[in-house]
Amino acid sequence: MNSLLLQNGELAPDFTLIDMHGDPVQLSSYRGKKTIVLSFLRGFI
Amino acid sequence: MARFRDSYSGYLERQAELIAVGPDGLEQFQRYWEREKLPFIGLPDPDHTVAKLYRQEVDLLKFGRMPLNCIVDIEGRIRYIHYSANRMDYPDTEIFFNVIDELNAASK
Repeated sequence: MNSLLLQNGELAPDFTLIDMHGDPVQLSSYRGKKTIVLSFLRGFI
Repeated sequence: MARFRDSYSGYLERQAELIAVGPDGLEQFQRYWEREKLPFIGLPDPDHTVAKLYRQEVDLLKFGRMPLNCIVDIEGRIRYIHYSANRMDYPDTEIFFNVIDELNAASK
């Protein structure tokens, strides 16, 4: 396993991206509220 | 993605949210989400900023971007992470549900 990959137990790197409605979504805004399943896609094409 | 759509109610029942991050642009995301009727959050990441932050693997010689799935607990820690070895290597929904159930049980 590549040691550069993220590991269990690490803090998930925080990020903010703009959703399809133009609103920012920040991962850390879910802290204390929800478990998040984060899926990185291959791309639609 | 159909898999996430069809199992979405199971995530909601577990007080979990699904967020999908992809390399496509806004318009492609909008078209795809509308066509597939996806109920969860989709985030265009055309500059691959977040994909790089999470070390999503890219194999230019073979299949391009490899799927990467992780579960982040309520405190913001990674509790499950799966870097796919190929494009068909996708964890079963049951695996996700089991991890979330364990996290929910531990936080009670």
